[in-house]
Amino acid sequence: MIGVFSYLIFFATTASILAIAVLGLNLQWGNTGLFNGGVVAFFGAGAYGTLILGGTAQAGHLGGFGLFYPLALLGGMAAAGLMAWVVGLLTLRLRHDYLAIATFGVAVAFENLMRNAEWLAGGAKGVRGFERPLRAALGDGFIYNLFFFVVVLLILIATYMFLERLVASPFGRLLRAIREDEEAARSLGKNPARIRLMAFVTGSVILGLAGGLYGTFYAFVSPQDVLPTLTFQIWAMLIVGGAGNNRGAIFGAFLIWGAWTLSGWALSRFAPVDVQLYTGSVQFILIGSVIVGMLMWRPQGFLPERLVVSQRGKPQQTQQGE
Amino acid sequence: MSIVKTMGATAALAFGMSVLAGAAQAQDCTTKIGAVLPTSVDWGRPIAETAQFAVDQVNAAGGAAGCEIEMVLRDTQVDPKVGVDAAKALVDLEGVNVLLGAVSSGVSMPILTSVTVPSGVLQMSCCSSSTAFTGLATEGKTGGLWYRTFATTGVQSAVGAKVAADQGYKSVAVLYKNDDWGQDMARLIATDFAAVGVEVTASVAINDGQPSYRAEVTEAVTSQPDALYLALYPAEGTAAVREWLSLGGTQNMILANSLKSDEFRDNVGLQYLGSALGTDTASPRSESADAFRAAYQERFASEPNGPGLANSYDAAMIVLLAMEAAGKDASGADVAAAIVRVTDPDGTPVSADTAGFTAAKEVLASGGNVMFQGATGNVRFDANGDVSAPAVIWSFSDAGTDEVEFMSLNDVDAFMASLK
Repeated sequence: MIGVFSYLIFFATTASILAIAVLGLNLQWGNTGLFNGGVVAFFGAGAYGTLILGGTAQAGHLGGFGLFYPLALLGGMAAAGLMAWVVGLLTLRLRHDYLAIATFGVAVAFENLMRNAEWLAGGAKGVRGFERPLRAALGDGFIYNLFFFVVVLLILIATYMFLERLVASPFGRLLRAIREDEEAARSLGKNPARIRLMAFVTGSVILGLAGGLYGTFYAFVSPQDVLPTLTFQIWAMLIVGGAGNNRGAIFGAFLIWGAWTLSGWALSRFAPVDVQLYTGSVQFILIGSVIVGMLMWRPQGFLPERLVVSQRGKPQQTQQGE
Repeated sequence: MSIVKTMGATAALAFGMSVLAGAAQAQDCTTKIGAVLPTSVDWGRPIAETAQFAVDQVNAAGGAAGCEIEMVLRDTQVDPKVGVDAAKALVDLEGVNVLLGAVSSGVSMPILTSVTVPSGVLQMSCCSSSTAFTGLATEGKTGGLWYRTFATTGVQSAVGAKVAADQGYKSVAVLYKNDDWGQDMARLIATDFAAVGVEVTASVAINDGQPSYRAEVTEAVTSQPDALYLALYPAEGTAAVREWLSLGGTQNMILANSLKSDEFRDNVGLQYLGSALGTDTASPRSESADAFRAAYQERFASEPNGPGLANSYDAAMIVLLAMEAAGKDASGADVAAAIVRVTDPDGTPVSADTAGFTAAKEVLASGGNVMFQGATGNVRFDANGDVSAPAVIWSFSDAGTDEVEFMSLNDVDAFMASLK
């Protein structure tokens, strides 16, 4: 029984970390309409940043600063934010699919940089030698995982509340105005370029936070963690959960990651022995089918965006649907 | 690795089969072991099949530690998250205390740091080559729970340096695959070449799947080396060597074991490979390696020539032998500690098949140690869980490959020590 509980904690930790990343993407795509095709670059910047700043010294590459953990995590977030700022300045004039292609290119460039720049982050071998915070006090086992899960959960809740506030604020309305009609927003004297950049950087910092927690959890990151698959997974979570809805983003993360892992477990347990070898491929088909089905029958996601219409002189009303 | 199967092997197999018939009885318990391997990737599936093959042989000998063995296989999709989750599920939900895998170092490493070491589970990888594991073990962070049967990086580069020295090459250019294995190879071979007094004139990374390698190869050619060292896979190796030759590069080549492929030989052309010498870790000159080969052919109707197959078999077999040695209800650490008892150079030699496992059971039960003679050799681990192996230098021929020189495990160890 303790085994099941221990696994569920582990699962929920990974899912929560991914949920934070999906929240970051939701701010960019769901609320501002920025098609970030390079999610993994900002996630990776957070992970690499945190491990390099907080890790022990490693021969042959940058690192070993051994910073106090929260500072290292903030450093990882800053690295993601800084990269988003530079990338944003260069690419945010692009629209929709052009922006997607440009940011996708950034992500591929990021992975290649990490794979080749051995002096920076160990090249293909990745960054290791990170001591997880408070490990000495809590040991390595179940208690530590429980503790880490609680911390991740609290960060997830804090991120969620922050974004809910942000989206409900006038700034959030401005984001949606830019998403729906940039010309109209400009005609009202707003500066869409600046606002888009702010949303892009904020979302990327959140992605970096998720990446930092991910690196901490595994105490390791390598170029294999920043392949385009992760971008796809996080997008799938947002689309299935419901773009524009923060609860949908979190729900989507748990649902997709749950389906991803549960299908693997179920196939390994229940599939006949001679099919066992093919379960990996079967799993890909299952996951693909779920996403295609979702796009066909419920493109707005399980928890669609709730549009808030404000009217002068009346209290706010909530209204369902698009 | 072109070993002809012998009469002895066939006899050993026949004996194995007869044991199979007699011993598969009277276990009423099942012990699960976990395997996390990339079965959704074409080259990953045979690795998993081979591990299962070892488990089947052991079950035919009546299982290990008194129980039948069930291997629970999970796919990693070569995605670290997925692999780690699968490993955690195997440990927590299936209760395994022994885990085989993964293949990619980038997947094996987070499994090691976040699942197996914290949970005290033995992790044995067939194929992870990164030197980062050695570093981690030296720092004492693997807790003695990490082993791998993939020997080729260190042995491979040392023997490559030996070839260059023996042939009298004064300078060598290196082309390497741009992944953790290739980067390690490039670094190790540079050190080893320096140790034998060979100059490296250029060391160029080759990325997978490019339409042309002209820029990379030109850089290597213009450095005008006596020979070319290739740590590449067949597809990129073929493309790079074609460009190399067309730009007037030398035909003196040293090849890593990844290029020991008929595809590479045929696509480049045997007439250009006359001065090419390859290196590889070798099967031991023992019946057990032949027995593995014969039994494998019997089961899969093909030669065990894919990447990692022999390593995967040995990984599974050593783990199962160690489980037998550690006895019933042993923890992961107990099994890890028992590995020295089954890879003891002074122990009773046992072959890599059902008969060998049955023989090992008797020796271990009477308190003795055994020396497992596996598909990759007389596997012997050092304190970091790394393995050394005999080596062979080979050249291409019409039929496949010819052996040029065989180096026993002691020769290899001595030569590697001389490089330090």
